[in-house]
Amino acid sequence: MSQLQARFFTDNQRYVVDDVPFSIPAVSEVQDLSNVINKLLEARNASHNKVEFDFLVRGQFLRTSLSTHMDTEGISTEDVVEIEYVERITAPEPEECMMHDDWISSVDADAEWILTGSYDKTARIWSLEGKAVMTVAGHVDVVKDVAWVKRDGLTSLLLTASLDQTLLLWEWNSERNKVKARHCCRGHTGSVDTVATDPTGSKFCSGSWDKMLKIWSAVPTDEADEVEEPADRPRKKQKTQQLGLTRTPLMTLSGHNEAVSSVLWCHSEEVCSASWDHTIRVWDVETGGMKTTLMGSKVFNCISYSPLCRRLASGSTDRHIRLWDPRTKDGSLVLLSLTSHTGWVTAVKWAPSHEHQLVSGSLDNLVKLWDTRSCKAPLYDLAAHEDKVFCVDWTESGLMLSGGADNKLYTYKYSVCPTDAGA
Amino acid sequence: MEESSSRSTRSNEQRKEMKKVLEKTVKKRSKEEEEEQEQEEVQIFNFKCTKEEEETKEEEDLSDSEDSVFSGLEDSGSDSADDDEEEEGSDHKGPEKDDLKIEDEEEKRGTETEEKQDDEYKHDSSDEEDIRNTVGNIPMEWYKDFPHIGYNLDGKKIYKPIRNKDELDDFLDKMEDPDYWRTVHDKQTGSDIVLSDEQVALVNRLQRGQFGDVNFNEYQPQVEFFSQDVMLHPVTNRPADKRSFIPSLIEKEKVSKLVHAIKMGWIKPRRTEDDSRGRYYDLWANEDSSILAKHKMHLPAPKAPLPGHQESYNPPPEYLFTDEERALWEQQDASDRKLPFVPRKFSSLRQVPAFPRFLHERFERCLDLYLCPRQRKMRVNVNPEDLIPKLPKPKDLQPFPTTQSLVYRGHSGLVRSISVSPSGQWLASGSDDGTVRFWEVRSSRCMRTVQVGGAVKSIAWNPNPLVCLLAVARDSVVLILSPSLADRQVVLSTERLLSGQREAESTEEVGPVTWSDAEGEELSQGITLKIQHPKAVHQVTWHAKGDYLASVMPDHSSHLQVFIHQVSRRRSQNPFRKNKGLVQCVSFHPVRPYFFVGTQRSVRIYNLVKQEMTKKLQANSKWISSMAVHPGGDHVICGSYDCRLSWFDLDLSTKPYKMLRHHKKAVRSVAYHRLYPLFASASDDGSVIVCHGTVYSDLLQNPLIVPVKVLRGHVITHDLGVLDVTFHPTQPWIFSSGADATIRLFT
Repeated sequence: MSQLQARFFTDNQRYVVDDVPFSIPAVSEVQDLSNVINKLLEARNASHNKVEFDFLVRGQFLRTSLSTHMDTEGISTEDVVEIEYVERITAPEPEECMMHDDWISSVDADAEWILTGSYDKTARIWSLEGKAVMTVAGHVDVVKDVAWVKRDGLTSLLLTASLDQTLLLWEWNSERNKVKARHCCRGHTGSVDTVATDPTGSKFCSGSWDKMLKIWSAVPTDEADEVEEPADRPRKKQKTQQLGLTRTPLMTLSGHNEAVSSVLWCHSEEVCSASWDHTIRVWDVETGGMKTTLMGSKVFNCISYSPLCRRLASGSTDRHIRLWDPRTKDGSLVLLSLTSHTGWVTAVKWAPSHEHQLVSGSLDNLVKLWDTRSCKAPLYDLAAHEDKVFCVDWTESGLMLSGGADNKLYTYKYSVCPTDAGA
Repeated sequence: MEESSSRSTRSNEQRKEMKKVLEKTVKKRSKEEEEEQEQEEVQIFNFKCTKEEEETKEEEDLSDSEDSVFSGLEDSGSDSADDDEEEEGSDHKGPEKDDLKIEDEEEKRGTETEEKQDDEYKHDSSDEEDIRNTVGNIPMEWYKDFPHIGYNLDGKKIYKPIRNKDELDDFLDKMEDPDYWRTVHDKQTGSDIVLSDEQVALVNRLQRGQFGDVNFNEYQPQVEFFSQDVMLHPVTNRPADKRSFIPSLIEKEKVSKLVHAIKMGWIKPRRTEDDSRGRYYDLWANEDSSILAKHKMHLPAPKAPLPGHQESYNPPPEYLFTDEERALWEQQDASDRKLPFVPRKFSSLRQVPAFPRFLHERFERCLDLYLCPRQRKMRVNVNPEDLIPKLPKPKDLQPFPTTQSLVYRGHSGLVRSISVSPSGQWLASGSDDGTVRFWEVRSSRCMRTVQVGGAVKSIAWNPNPLVCLLAVARDSVVLILSPSLADRQVVLSTERLLSGQREAESTEEVGPVTWSDAEGEELSQGITLKIQHPKAVHQVTWHAKGDYLASVMPDHSSHLQVFIHQVSRRRSQNPFRKNKGLVQCVSFHPVRPYFFVGTQRSVRIYNLVKQEMTKKLQANSKWISSMAVHPGGDHVICGSYDCRLSWFDLDLSTKPYKMLRHHKKAVRSVAYHRLYPLFASASDDGSVIVCHGTVYSDLLQNPLIVPVKVLRGHVITHDLGVLDVTFHPTQPWIFSSGADATIRLFT
């Protein structure tokens, strides 16, 4: 079995080769195959520049020699092997390092600005180039999560969730560089650990240590909601000096038995939450009822949903990243688990423009870039952090971000492969 | 007959001679090939044959002619005539008869051998003998007076050969002719025939009784075709009868008769003769089995070895010592010597002196007999693996902590005590560096540091989830800390609890324990209450309701070792009037009003309501270091400084149900998980051992205890390893604090 019959194909029209079977050595690895393709392309087009390719055999990235790969995957070597090739994803390049005063608990980036929450009780706004633009201070305790709500020209709405059991809705004018607390969202009785804005930007959902999920309105108004203060503490009232107008939740979703660690919107009517009670629950926002429960075996730290592949990725306190299908009814079927981290997985995030890619951060100080077609090993390990990684994020403009306990927010530039997006 | 008649049709001359034969049939027969004769014709012919019985002679003629036609031999014709003649004229030929016969036969053989190549069986019958002379079987002397001797086939006369030989000529021939002895006279033709060598040899063989054919081997090996071994061909090819496939009805009838007879009891089965009873008997049948066993176990006394060549007064020279051997023998210790004496040589038995070691040797022999084992000792053969109890695999007992996940760094001294908040969000740790730190469990972030101004010996979080309080033992003071790390409602209720009976406090008489409010700096750090004890406090622990607090001050000489404080009313009381040993640790029963007091060697259980001791558990260890009560309340584990962990089942016994000796060094701390069937022990050898301990509600079933994991991670500092261990309240996680100033979380 020294030779294999292989047929190469690709979706990228630039790199198409003849659709005929080639006989290639069974021991050839990615580099050899890449050379073969480059040779073929040069034969077709003299002006072809050498491109590094990656190869997929039945949807799995080739990482070892072809024969061992097919052996482990149980693919017959008698038939013609269909090998797909894509342009290799280049390693993300470190761009900026933004120093914070304290641990970074969360990061949220959009096309223009980066928002980070920190353990120094503030949130910060950074430009994509790494310039500190604004410090949002107002919480009396650690900021656990941040989120952009909406950008309307120069004014933006942003959210900060804190250990002091409140969320603050801020309005930030980027031109005047002024930030104003519009609403103080009260209602949680525990540390608010996670917040997520719905796709329309009109509502947001928060998850707290008190096992509750609460849905709030994200539209700033000029009126404060009625707050029923406990009758027996009138003298404490003056102590809680108000930052913005008090806002009460539209809806409370209770059902988790333990702290809610992560929450996200699948679409505008559906909220998905992960908890320390080893479950991921999907809620219907319209009715406030629970739709699906995914049972895990370990505490969930984080979840992420990709509308491209409609999969849920979860990071838990064992070292695995698991992929789930949220549409299954009361199933606990793990579609795939990605295992390479050695500590708790504290953050996962799907790529905004790529169906297969996700990034994960872990307590083992590593950020890993994954492709679901290569579940045994990540594409790249980003070993920039010197301490625990708490948060990761992507922007659609080709930036990856990660922050952690070494007070640094790293940004990495990654190559957006539009050709591979539809692959 | 038919054949001969058909032949007769062949020769036309013969047909003429046959006068009575119907012309019709003759014509038909002439068509040789016509086999399809009509039935009547055959009948007619047969009829004819029966009629022609008299004409046998003619038939003979026919056969003769036929033969002559086919063979075409000249000599043999006369031969056959000879034959006939011989038969007839046997009487007068008397003496020569034998000879002639022989010759005759010889002739016949000769012709036969000649004819062999044609067809062996052509002339098989005497009818077809080669006859030239047609006179037939008549005495030839009838032709004595005629010049001819008979008639040939054509009816011409056969003339006698001119015989001019007389007796004299005969004699001369006899004398002179060398072939005379082989010359035979043929009477039918009257000629002399000289026999050839082959014919003579044939005659000789026949005379000896051998076969005429030289090449015939009468001793040819027999080809076996049917014997008991070989069955080349079946004896008969008949198919087997149907009856051989059908069970015999007669037999069936017989058997059923027998069966019926047996059933009815008419036939009794043959009784086997019991031989053994009468003729043989068991000699040892009545013997006591213990005596037999004794016999089996008996060992005969050791025999004195027989003397060998060495002992001889005149041993062969090779047994005598050389100088080197003698030197070696003298150097060796008496017990190491191969021989107890030196072989010596004497020329005669007379010269052998008295044996100087005789008494000594006798004594040794007596000692041997006295000391030798007289009984075989049975050793029980047990497979060591059978002694290991069957335990489930740790894999099946998941979940339990397996790997280190987080390290909480920040302390500068050894961390003596840790405690997790009831919600599982916060971890408090007290250290020798004089601080109490509060950590966020999930991120290992130190959220708050409280300076308490002295080494913290023990720390305990109030188990009541509605309050947020912490008891800290520092020197002789127990501090009540309110870390305000909880919800506003909880902080509020905490404050209410603390301030509840402040007014009543002033009226209390001053006992050995004084309560005081913290002020100034301490208050801003969260310290709200100080309980001053007479001596250094070793341990603090809360009641499950969160109102009562017990503190331990180990002291040999005093009965003031344990205090129970009520926080809401700021009262303290000493439950014991007598000193019953150095108290190491105390614990409240999780649900019932029991109080566990661990002293050095035992654990006493007191009923707080009845104010009496209910049970005393003997730990079988030298010095108990720590104790934990199962959340169900029926089981207690104790760790001791002599590396043991003992599990007590309170319903079972006051002795340990199980002792675990897995640690290499002193056990410092033990803990139960609140929800999962797990317990753990921490030791100075730097390891935490997690065990699975399922407790069954069924009283008959003993707890299942399986060690599942050894967790390492702490660095041994100043010979101290892990100092405290505690489980997360809701997750199967375990925290351990060590002398290396770190706290580690294993998940």
